[in-house]
Amino acid sequence: MFKKTPMAAGVAAFATLLFAGGSAVADTGNGYAVDYTAMTPHELAEYLIFEANDGGGFNLSQEMQEGGTARDRMQQDELQIACSLIDNADPDPETAAAIREAAGESIVYPEGGIQLGDWERGRELAWSGFGYRVGHNYDDHDARPVGGTCYNCHQMATDRTGGNVGPNLTGYGKTRGTSEAVLKYAYDMIYNPHVYFPCTHMPRFGASGFLDDESIADIMAYMFDPESPVNE
Amino acid sequence: MLKKALLALPVAMALGATAHAEKPPEEVLQGLIDAIDSTYLTQSEMNIMMMPDNPALWVGMDGEDLFHTPRGPNNVSMEACDFGKGPGVLEGAYVEMPRYFEDTGKVMDLETRIVHCMTEVQGFDPDDPAVTRRHGSGSDHMKIQTYIAMQSNGMEWNNPLEHPLEQAMRDAGEVLFARRAGMSDFNCYACHGETGKRVRASQLPAVDVPEEWTKAISWPAHRVGHDNVRSSQHRVRGCYYQMRQPGMLAGSDASIALISYWTDLARGQPAVLPDMKR
Ligand code: HEC
Ligand code: HEC
Repeated sequence: MFKKTPMAAGVAAFATLLFAGGSAVADTGNGYAVDYTAMTPHELAEYLIFEANDGGGFNLSQEMQEGGTARDRMQQDELQIACSLIDNADPDPETAAAIREAAGESIVYPEGGIQLGDWERGRELAWSGFGYRVGHNYDDHDARPVGGTCYNCHQMATDRTGGNVGPNLTGYGKTRGTSEAVLKYAYDMIYNPHVYFPCTHMPRFGASGFLDDESIADIMAYMFDPESPVNE
Repeated sequence: MLKKALLALPVAMALGATAHAEKPPEEVLQGLIDAIDSTYLTQSEMNIMMMPDNPALWVGMDGEDLFHTPRGPNNVSMEACDFGKGPGVLEGAYVEMPRYFEDTGKVMDLETRIVHCMTEVQGFDPDDPAVTRRHGSGSDHMKIQTYIAMQSNGMEWNNPLEHPLEQAMRDAGEVLFARRAGMSDFNCYACHGETGKRVRASQLPAVDVPEEWTKAISWPAHRVGHDNVRSSQHRVRGCYYQMRQPGMLAGSDASIALISYWTDLARGQPAVLPDMKR
């Protein structure tokens, strides 16, 4: 479950069908190559991303850090499709259950169990917003390690200002301890938070390949190490 | 024509003759602040204080010159261009964009309409820097956009949805808003779904609070952090960058669909033009 679907190919075929051939603005009032009013909003959105304006409405040819092009990155996997809900709605219970199950299956644990790494490196990674940004100011992954952007959404240690899109994580290890269950929960949240919060807005840092094992271990050390400023 | 020698006067007063404004932008903003409790609207006292001297007002004055001067190979001024309310009519034009234009058969936002005017009416080559340079206070685009947008200050957003193409673009924009993709699975709701949220220290506007959203979409605005006047298209690019998704091409139909939807979300709320942002 939750594979990428070749959506663009489907839309391209659809667009060809719609192309009436040479219908001038004057006749139809439609200045586009195809009739946008004949598509569903969803079909039109896909068409605007991948086909309109001679090859798509985004810069789709740029190469991505993970390989492939921006065209590939804009393809949605099944989770992204299921969670693209108008008005930020919650998924229905059946979908939510399927999402949680698939998320659980996606989680890979490190050999030898969950480890805490280097909290000092984790501190920088939790703060850093570097990584996977593309377009006009492309992140070169050879230059710096990919950060976790945790502070964008979370307050962690209080020496730096964090966001509040997610809950406050100050004192995380100190208040919860470091039992196996607590560490597993935190690891799961970082790896694929949809296992507990279907359609959460927190990224799937492990499942997407955004963070590697070492970086996850270091960020977890930042959350749990008694020496870490998070637990002051 | 007004020149920068007037710097001693508050800029807003100097511009009073041309800008549509029963209320200057800072008073329009104050009205929103008085209407609701919002950390987003009140986040920068400094900016609110600076608004009477907003550098964007100067950029708009330069735009006034450019707009009314005959230019391009055809040596005509932009007064010959229709921004939706008839040739040369600017009052209230911007708050009713994006809209469908019969002469192109397309839904266009302000920026693409300016491009259309430059290339089709004034005769500029599409590769001319006047047409291609879209960003920065020094660009013709930002000057002209700011001037035109200022003629809608304090007026309510009201992009028409009568034409089936206007409705189709708005509806596709709603889908784009909700569409998750890329390395972070983000859609626009990830950061703008709830009021009172911050990314680090930045207070974020929420899509479901129209009094916040009208300020959010009030571009052109002087971005203090960039020390430049920025456009809606520039903002769209910035958010996709943070979302780890590729940049939308300026003026693409996708960008116009998105802007049609975001304007619809602010319908009925007064525009703050020009605005100042962090
Ligand atoms: C885009 C915002 C965002 C980013 C970035 C983000 N999170 Fe979260 N996080 C959330 C949200 C929202 C929740 C709450 C779950 C929900 O309701 O969806 C959450 C929940 C959590 C929880 C569970 C908290 C609890 O109550 O036990 C942990 C742990 C966590 N995040 C860790 C991290 C770490 C570590 C990072 C960086 C690698 C990170 N988050 C990055 C938004 C984010
Ligand atoms: C990862 C978080 C994030 C996502 C996702 C995001 N934005 Fe933003 N957006 C921001 C931040 C942060 C700012 C404010 C910039 C600042 O203060 O420097 C902002 C500002 C804006 C503003 C202008 C408000 C202002 O005061 O500057 C608009 C309009 C906007 N975003 C629209 C969108 C749209 C449309 C999308 C989806 C295509 C989107 N955003 C997705 C983080 C995000």
